[in-house]
Amino acid sequence: MTQLASARLRETIFAVMADRGLPPVGEHEALFSTGRLDSLAATEVLTMLETDYGIDLADEDFDILQIDTLHDLEMMLSMRVRVAA
Amino acid sequence: MTATYNISAGFLRSVGQYPDRLFYSDTERDMTYGEMGETVSRLAGYLCESGRPRRVGVLATRSMEAYAGILAAGLAGAAYVPLNLKWPEERIVALLRMLELDALVVDAKGAGLLTPAVMEAAPRQIIIADGARDIEAPSGKDVVRLGDIGSRPMREPAQVGADDTAYIIFTSGTTGLPKGVMISAGSLASYLEQTRLWTQLTCDDRLAETCDVTFDLTVHNLFLCVEAGASLHVLSALEMLAPGRFVRARNLTVWMSVPTLVAMMRRNRSLKPGVFPSLRLSIFCGEPLPVEAARAWAEATPNGVVENIYGPTEGTVVCMRQRLTAPAVTTPSRGIVAIGTPYENMDIAILDARQKPLVDGTPGEIALSGPQLAIGYFGAPEQTADRFRKIDGRRWYLTGDLGMRDENGVFHHLGRTDNQVKVKGNRIELEEVEMHLRRAAGTDMVAVVAWPVIDGSAQGLVGFCNSALPADEIAAALLKTLPRYMMPDPIRILDTLPVNINGKVDRRALAATLDAASQTETQPKDRPALAVATSGAIA
Repeated sequence: MTQLASARLRETIFAVMADRGLPPVGEHEALFSTGRLDSLAATEVLTMLETDYGIDLADEDFDILQIDTLHDLEMMLSMRVRVAA
Repeated sequence: MTATYNISAGFLRSVGQYPDRLFYSDTERDMTYGEMGETVSRLAGYLCESGRPRRVGVLATRSMEAYAGILAAGLAGAAYVPLNLKWPEERIVALLRMLELDALVVDAKGAGLLTPAVMEAAPRQIIIADGARDIEAPSGKDVVRLGDIGSRPMREPAQVGADDTAYIIFTSGTTGLPKGVMISAGSLASYLEQTRLWTQLTCDDRLAETCDVTFDLTVHNLFLCVEAGASLHVLSALEMLAPGRFVRARNLTVWMSVPTLVAMMRRNRSLKPGVFPSLRLSIFCGEPLPVEAARAWAEATPNGVVENIYGPTEGTVVCMRQRLTAPAVTTPSRGIVAIGTPYENMDIAILDARQKPLVDGTPGEIALSGPQLAIGYFGAPEQTADRFRKIDGRRWYLTGDLGMRDENGVFHHLGRTDNQVKVKGNRIELEEVEMHLRRAAGTDMVAVVAWPVIDGSAQGLVGFCNSALPADEIAAALLKTLPRYMMPDPIRILDTLPVNINGKVDRRALAATLDAASQTETQPKDRPALAVATSGAIA
């Protein structure tokens, strides 16, 4: 189910990477901290987390470093799915 | 004994006074003053092995090694020269050749840029981070890891005069290569003297560092921090976008950044009232501060004050300041906070095109005079003479900023008199980008405009040319010589470019075309309408 939950997010990230002529990344490869993607791409991901997944970016528990890999993003979203259920 | 202007003297005092207090922290490590003092003293000892060095390059940023390089260069009496990790190889090589450095300090990221061509242009002494990839030393070069230096530590700061160069920071130049602004140790001392009056840092302060060391806001943070024995907390590029957790976990007290960061946080809705209760002082610099952004920030920091500061690199970081008050002192025509009143040691004038002073209320060019003025541009006497002028026996720097002084003596920033723009806090001369576009496109008919402009701040660059080459080929060629934050994107191919009455390409008409097109076009789905830009301030 989490695979589904993050499908749109993944699609967005891969689209941004394709735009820059970058190959798709592995689950554990850093997207932003390595400079592979810039702050505008990060802002896009953040906006999506906020609007589509209801994650409060001002919340104490929100750790932005967790958006750096697909794996961590997946974990973050699955946690939320469990909390919601 | 005469007073020394050694820029690292304050750091050394704090090492003696607060050896166990935290000096530096990033996501990977913490360093106390005592630990950093050892590292810096040994590195300075190594830099001095064959006499006092003149210039030390820092191919590093947001890392312990970057700060160790800066402080050790200072301790040894050398000027430090930050080199931007976002520069392409050709640009790094060109600047290394020009600078004739005595040594180069490189962090793990910087080591990725040490290509054979860069190594060849680099100085003999190359100091790399312990965690950097292996670098094979070509003949004639000594590559040593920071942790392996066995030199005798330097415990006393080298004697430095007020006129000695403290640092060289590069800004975009109109000739195709950046200009190196040389700031003297005396100017820096003057700057710190004026600035500590209002920042009043103590050893209990914890500062957020959001900038790369190629940006002179880091001069402010670093040198005020170390003399007070405070701590410096480096945010990663990601943490800057939603810094709530970082600021709270570390209980930070002082924030400084470009206003673009506020805009980003407002856009992703991470800037909410009361989210930064620990901040007592927030400083914005580098581009116009929209009143709305300032107010939103003030609400997020209920226990702190907000300061808008103004100053070109050529005037040593900052020379004017305006605190956010209620009601705010604003520049109504632009919806931004005013740039305020001058530092006491500096004279600010508004001049006409013949460098004659204008009366209050009349817009003209902002000019600065006083002890914070730069020595000039490195190796560029003509460019120095063009901007630093003797007027009635005094030396002035012509900023190229358009401004005016109102009847209350408050200064307002009204734009530029030339084609310098700020894109997300990065200072860029459009002519420099055009110079590179001409070469990449193989045509003289080119123009670059800053577009779109939101809240007085350009969001990106758009390039135009009448080239026979396709846009993606031009872009690929451009990326070889221009950093990504200076890249025009998109590049549009036109049959002809509009020209103005003087026969020059009309940038204004091109911008108007873009405005008109964006109003009629529907927003592209799932894509932001903004042009892409990575930034020296924001990665």
